[in-house]
Amino acid sequence: MNAVEIRGLVKKYADFEAVSGLTFDVREGEIFALVGPNGVGKSTTLKTIATILSPSSGSVAVFGLDTAREAHGVREIISYLPEEAGAYKNLTGREYLDFMALVFLRDKQKAAAAVAFGSELSGLKDRLEDKVKTYSKGMTRKLLLARAVMVKPKLAILDEPTSGLDIVNGYEIRKTIKQLAAGGMTFLISSHNMSEIEFLSGRIGVINKGKLLACDTPAALKTRFTTDDLEEVFIKLTQ
Amino acid sequence: MNIFFVLVKKEIKELLTLQVILSIAAMLLIFQVIGKSVGSQNKSTAAHNGVVTLDLDRSAVSRRLAAALAEAGYEIRPSRAANIEAAMASPEHAAENSFILIPEGLERTINSGKKSRVEFYSRFKKNASGLGPVLAASRTRKAAAVVSGELSYYVLERRVPGVAPAFLRNPAPALEFAVVDGHAEEVPLAQVLAFIQSQTYFFPVAVFFIVILSAQMIMTSVAGEKENKTLETLLSSPIDRRLLVMSKLAASAVIAAALSAAYMLGMRSFMSGITAETTLGAAAGVSAAGPALAKLGLLISPQGYFLVGLSVLFCILCALSIAFILGVLSEDLKSIQAMMTPLMMALMLSYLLPIFIDLSSANLGIKFLLYAIPFTHAFMAPQNMMMGNTAQVLWGIAYQAAVFTVCVVYAARLFSGEALLTMRLKFGRKR
Ligand SMILES: Nc1ncnc2c1ncn2[C@@H]1O[C@H](COP(=O)(O)OP(=O)(O)O)[C@@H](O)[C@H]1O
Ligand SMILES: [Mg+2]
Repeated sequence: MNAVEIRGLVKKYADFEAVSGLTFDVREGEIFALVGPNGVGKSTTLKTIATILSPSSGSVAVFGLDTAREAHGVREIISYLPEEAGAYKNLTGREYLDFMALVFLRDKQKAAAAVAFGSELSGLKDRLEDKVKTYSKGMTRKLLLARAVMVKPKLAILDEPTSGLDIVNGYEIRKTIKQLAAGGMTFLISSHNMSEIEFLSGRIGVINKGKLLACDTPAALKTRFTTDDLEEVFIKLTQ
Repeated sequence: MNIFFVLVKKEIKELLTLQVILSIAAMLLIFQVIGKSVGSQNKSTAAHNGVVTLDLDRSAVSRRLAAALAEAGYEIRPSRAANIEAAMASPEHAAENSFILIPEGLERTINSGKKSRVEFYSRFKKNASGLGPVLAASRTRKAAAVVSGELSYYVLERRVPGVAPAFLRNPAPALEFAVVDGHAEEVPLAQVLAFIQSQTYFFPVAVFFIVILSAQMIMTSVAGEKENKTLETLLSSPIDRRLLVMSKLAASAVIAAALSAAYMLGMRSFMSGITAETTLGAAAGVSAAGPALAKLGLLISPQGYFLVGLSVLFCILCALSIAFILGVLSEDLKSIQAMMTPLMMALMLSYLLPIFIDLSSANLGIKFLLYAIPFTHAFMAPQNMMMGNTAQVLWGIAYQAAVFTVCVVYAARLFSGEALLTMRLKFGRKR
């Protein structure tokens, strides 16, 4: 079964069409990346899959569950990290993890296990006892990533998980994602940075102005356009 | 594990920052300090009962006036100056503000059946502030009344010997009655007024404060979650979205209640300091008039207070649910102030208008407008209970409950759809 199946997805904001007929699949256990410049509809697509926006037309299914009709079932198996998200500033890192674990799992024991896993994964150690407002951008992002995956969702949807981070923090986050994917978790991420995504993802979907231009492994795309540079692939696709 | 409790706990933790707690403590302290110092200053001004008398007549009548003033509680400070200017300029009386000039020949003129005069001076110092000069002026006026009364007694005794001067001056003293619902009760009207005012002025101030505070709090919380995208995270979780709405309402209501208790405490110590002289006197009068007020049905019963409390509760709930909706519509934390404006306007209207106009005789348009604002009913509840309009209070509560229900249903609908992520109120500019 495919983790995500998107068929003819259209999403309009009032009279502006942000996504115009997307069709693609994400296979179970892979890291799939939606790539494209700013404002082409990546976040809108991810929000629709995360059930917080509903399709104007077309359909989205997550592990066979329709995001519009079976939203609750979808929410039980996914985890969504919005782009440029923050955490509650007056909670400590650990309080934030505790709270989110209870919200997602609604069971004290399961939540405690999830928090133990998440604290380990975040790498924040003692700083978890400090308030979130004292964190740097990189620390907050690690906390949020840990939060997103600690409940072991079947599908993790991460919107621009590494954008705006320095080399070390970006590298650590990519490494964590790869590790978890090796353990069987499916990832759908987005990025406007072609080259960093090459290291991470199995397949990429190149998107521009709400439409999918190509969908394949980075290697296959580079062969197809006879170039070593993934950015060149995008330039050629949009010409 | 009750997830609702977890949500409320997190809301309170987020809202109740150290800054908020410190600023409340500071507010309490400031109230306390100002109230205390103003109060002690007023007390010393009040205790200070001196009047400087410049007696140029030196007659039996002028001595009688001094005795009457002393009897009325004034401390006579005789001046030996030649005229009133010199008396006021003398360094000995630099701290005094009330002066009386008894002119030469007062006794002679009165005895001959002609009009004379006594002069009263109240000094307003340019650099003085606060209530001191005002109290001094009213002291001077009261002294004038004492002097005038004593002089007319003197003249009556001389001209109409054998009849008690008190009878001549006021042969039929006034008996004051308050009438409520056709039931009359003898009670000094000043005491009834003081009682009604104490109920109608101080109470709405507190309600006003609670409503503003809790509205601001819930708007900050919703707009903050929107800005931080923590809201999107919660919306993608399996939690029931109605619980999110209810937990925010509950948390801000709890904090608002605590804050308003703190505020009321501070306000009370402040007011009791400031009005120690004026209102406490009236309050003592009110407690003396208690039985009469009770017979008139003006004292609010415990059940009455319960209804007033219920009305206030629904007033707060209405404000919270409206503020919640406004918070959902605001783009970020910065736009909260602008979004608060309509709520503030409605509150101001319903708070101020009933103070300045008599609603029972106001025109229909204004009446309709005021009763349409759910807050009005809470502001008017104590007065209505006092006057026995229980039905009106009950209708008010029913209306408030209806408004609250509509708002909560709408807020929950906003929360269950995607409108809160895509809808924005824009002020004048279009994308
Ligand atoms: N709430 C909204 N209302 C109106 N237009 C929006 C809204 N959110 C996004 N858009 C528009 O939709 C387009 C796609 O946005 P988005 O999905 O965020 O792009 P990306 O994530 O690829 O940068 C952009 O042109 C953006 O301006
Ligand atoms: Mg985006």
